[in-house]
Amino acid sequence: MSTQVNAHHEHPDVVGSRNKLGVVLILVADIAFALSVLFVYFYLKQQDVGGMWLPRASEGQAATVPANAMGAWYLTLLAGLGLLVNNYALRGARTKNPTQINLGLGAGALISIVLFVYQIIQMRQVEFTVTWGAYASCYFLITGLSALHFFITAFIGIGNWNRGRLGLYSNDFWHIDIANVWWIWMVVSSLLGAFALSNS
Amino acid sequence: MTTVMNHKNPTASHRPIMERLNVVTALALGVAGAVISYYLAQKFLPENTEGSVMKTRHDQVVLIGMIGWFIGFMTGIGALVGPFRWLMGKDLSHDENMYLAGKNAGISRYFRYTTDHKVVGIQYLVITMVIFGVGGILAMLIRTNLGHAEGGWLHPQAYNAVVGIHGIIMIVGTIIMVTGPFGNFIMPIMIGARDMAFPRLNALSFWLIVAALAPILSSFFLGGITTGWSAYNPLASQSPAGMDGYIMFICIFAISTMVAGANITTTVVRMRAKGMTWTRTPIFIYGTVASVALALPAFPVFFLSQIMSGMDRALGTTFYDTRGGGSGWLYENLFWLMGHPEVYVILIPAVAALMEMAPVFTRRPLFSFKIAVMGIAGICGLSILVWAHHMYMTGWAPLLNAPFMLTTELISIPTGMLFLVLVGTVWRGRLWMTVPTASIFALLLNFMIGGITGIYLSDVPADAALHGSMFVTAHFHYTLMGAGLTGAIAALIFWFPKMTGRMIDKQLSWISFWLVQIGFNVAFMGMFMVGLAGQPRRVEAYAELFIRGNQITTGAAFVIMTGMLVLLWAVIYSWRHGQKAPMNPWQSKTLEWTVPNPVPLENFETLPIVTSDPYGYGKAQS
Amino acid sequence: MSDLQTKKPQWWKSKDVQVTAGLWVVFSALIAVIGGEVNARPMGEPASETMANTIHIMRMFTWVSAPVAGLVAAIAAKALMQKMHFGDNPPPEADHQISDSPKATALWLVVSALLCLFALIFGMVVLQKDNNTLLDVHAADINVTGQQWAWNFDYADSGNFQSADLYLPVNQPVHFHVTSLDVVHSFWIVQMGIKVDANPGYITETAVTPTKIGVYDLRCAELCGLLHAYMQKKVHVVSQQDYNNWVTSHGGTI
Repeated sequence: MSTQVNAHHEHPDVVGSRNKLGVVLILVADIAFALSVLFVYFYLKQQDVGGMWLPRASEGQAATVPANAMGAWYLTLLAGLGLLVNNYALRGARTKNPTQINLGLGAGALISIVLFVYQIIQMRQVEFTVTWGAYASCYFLITGLSALHFFITAFIGIGNWNRGRLGLYSNDFWHIDIANVWWIWMVVSSLLGAFALSNS
Repeated sequence: MTTVMNHKNPTASHRPIMERLNVVTALALGVAGAVISYYLAQKFLPENTEGSVMKTRHDQVVLIGMIGWFIGFMTGIGALVGPFRWLMGKDLSHDENMYLAGKNAGISRYFRYTTDHKVVGIQYLVITMVIFGVGGILAMLIRTNLGHAEGGWLHPQAYNAVVGIHGIIMIVGTIIMVTGPFGNFIMPIMIGARDMAFPRLNALSFWLIVAALAPILSSFFLGGITTGWSAYNPLASQSPAGMDGYIMFICIFAISTMVAGANITTTVVRMRAKGMTWTRTPIFIYGTVASVALALPAFPVFFLSQIMSGMDRALGTTFYDTRGGGSGWLYENLFWLMGHPEVYVILIPAVAALMEMAPVFTRRPLFSFKIAVMGIAGICGLSILVWAHHMYMTGWAPLLNAPFMLTTELISIPTGMLFLVLVGTVWRGRLWMTVPTASIFALLLNFMIGGITGIYLSDVPADAALHGSMFVTAHFHYTLMGAGLTGAIAALIFWFPKMTGRMIDKQLSWISFWLVQIGFNVAFMGMFMVGLAGQPRRVEAYAELFIRGNQITTGAAFVIMTGMLVLLWAVIYSWRHGQKAPMNPWQSKTLEWTVPNPVPLENFETLPIVTSDPYGYGKAQS
Repeated sequence: MSDLQTKKPQWWKSKDVQVTAGLWVVFSALIAVIGGEVNARPMGEPASETMANTIHIMRMFTWVSAPVAGLVAAIAAKALMQKMHFGDNPPPEADHQISDSPKATALWLVVSALLCLFALIFGMVVLQKDNNTLLDVHAADINVTGQQWAWNFDYADSGNFQSADLYLPVNQPVHFHVTSLDVVHSFWIVQMGIKVDANPGYITETAVTPTKIGVYDLRCAELCGLLHAYMQKKVHVVSQQDYNNWVTSHGGTI
């Protein structure tokens, strides 16, 4: 039986590179999704149908004041930090330095949890609710999807850290490399979200 | 061989979890998940508060129940085993992977989370047939109601639900009908690989579709949907809870499509056999990849539109409600951004399959392989730029009508290239008459009619007369069914011997072919006529002047139904009792015909090395 | 690799090409004529210039597509005219075939591009003509409101009187401002060939000059719920005199 094209017999670099392509393709779908969210936000803002993008005060309900977008920028910075520590872990894997791997992946796992929790906290702190017009709808769409992103990041982060400390990345560390791609997307998508929310 | 597991953990004395999970546990956990979530939601969700325009607690409860079904079903089928084993750092062993691949497992492997692409291909074939069966029954209900001008055979609410669910089910069915069974079973062998790039994702993409069927079928019991398959908001927000079933169906199917897209694309890009350069890659592979690669960015837009629809219904957001700053045009843009590329997702694999068959049955090379590839690429590229031709009449941006008319009419040029390839291939070829051969000619007829009627529709002034009428319905049935389904059925007959080891009964398939093609053309020609005369779409009753056209269509629909039932019988009968197929019954030159029936688990003894394209008929050497 | 260049220096003289060319002429003519009629007949007599233009443009497109469709039909028919092999084994492989022909391809592309361009220009011209009615300052204004499941008309130029009936004076341009109170509907006067969606929260526009006295059909062309099939109304196009009488008898001013 040939040793080619059999996942458990193939060279790890072949498998890893292939898996990376798969992740990139899934990200293509996610990118299209994110760009559509931006389209929703700016289209509704531009249309301002009936002046209800940011409704004025009415009986029993205060005016909708947009959330402070700084929170979204902080999340973007934090995601950037996560990317940096994952890179650190990746370099540790390349130089076969287990301490560096564990440190980097551990920090990454921690950061990913913080990202998720902090996103939820921000969503709970706003003055408006989800029913307060088009901006509010978009705000919760963006932040809710962002929370989902960070949840997935936490899963990847914790998984990688656990696998790292079990020594699974001493030779073949493609999973850390692929996590890098994911972290880059986390930074970019957070940036897109922060950009939108800064232009309310 | 009983268990194949290497029990590393001495305390695990009984069968590991993975071996216990199958469709039965999936159903059980799915139902349990649905019931428990529904009950908890009913009990603990707060009542509706003031200030929300459209939200209802009922939708929240229904959606939570459906999410409970989804999580339960996917847990019960074993989809979570892989991710959690990864998380824990206990990757699957070789034996476990062989178990998942269904090694030595017999028929039970079709009922669980099996990773072997050949099993997944057969599973997709069966589920596609189920989907077409349900969609077909709904079609017959529609046509029976439309056999009388005054309607009334179905209550208007039931009629709208039948129309809408027929539409969305058929759209999903036509999306998967070629890339599902043949993209999965045949494609990896055709490129000389042992399996796909991500076998576990392959199983996932299939079982997601099974999970998705429950919500959409439950729609009927939840009051149905008020909209057509396009689920336009704001009408969708008025719909009973059946709309939540539609929303869940699309959300789950979107994940399946995304996963399948990544899998198929990576497989073709990275796992072609040695020597299979891009110029030696069969045209069917191009068609398959183009379709799923186009769906990758397109479908998420639809996914988002449905999430937002669900949020409007359940949470009181106002994405589509103008009273809250929302816009119906937002929905229409999102929908059609997906909706137009989507029809090429449906069409291209079917046409590519027929292009793959044409050289085999004319015993000559494919005419201008390069043009075929360019045509496919051109269609895919342009398809992202035409969506607002579905919105000419909405009034959303009258100044954009002309640019979209331009891009839409331009798409006729790469489409024409596909015609050129097909007629070029039958020109001066032999004529080995089989149902696939006849299907090529049927495609030329049906696709021509579909294409030209599309040109009328692409013209803004003509669209003012035709949009929203039965003319449109006839046009897209000509393209998706007359062209698409014809190609898919031909693909089934062509690849049946490799997938089942038997030939499909010739007589039955010929009878089916003629019944379906003649019935189809009569039915939908009649539909063009009533559309031109002014009958709107999606109506359950109509003016007297449309009676004759409708009766013709209804009568012919029964002919189509008979033809499809004959095909169904042919498939079932031949699968069990059909003539045993030789390894290469069509004497085709593509790689899938070099492996024996039944195809071994890992496809090839030794991986092939490719030295030329597979169209070397009539030349000195191939 | 073109066999023709080495073996048959004059490709137009070979029998199959000549037969196909003949079939091409016949099929193109049949498609143009029959296709044109099949499209035009059910659409009936146009009640506006807009509709007349639409019927004309569809006929034009049919004529323009006919040569392409005719060629496809001719080649297909020629292929079907040869000996058909049935049976379990393939016939011998073909010879004298062309696997590529840059000339044929170029010709096909150029011709289809030209036809496409023609369709485009023609369409733009007609679109411009229809848009001109929209810009006509002498057009009467009627506000149309769609709701589940009826149409209402507000005759803005006649003192804003409301009616559930649509009466129009012949040969007078009229400008419709259309909206909806609930879901998306579509305002479609069938025989006049005009249509525009009625959207909640927005006002959309269409315009037409009715050219024939008679009774026509207004139908909703966008699924709008339970009674979409019944959201229809007759449109009465009458002489200017009859129109004035109708307006005044309904409390409007001329």
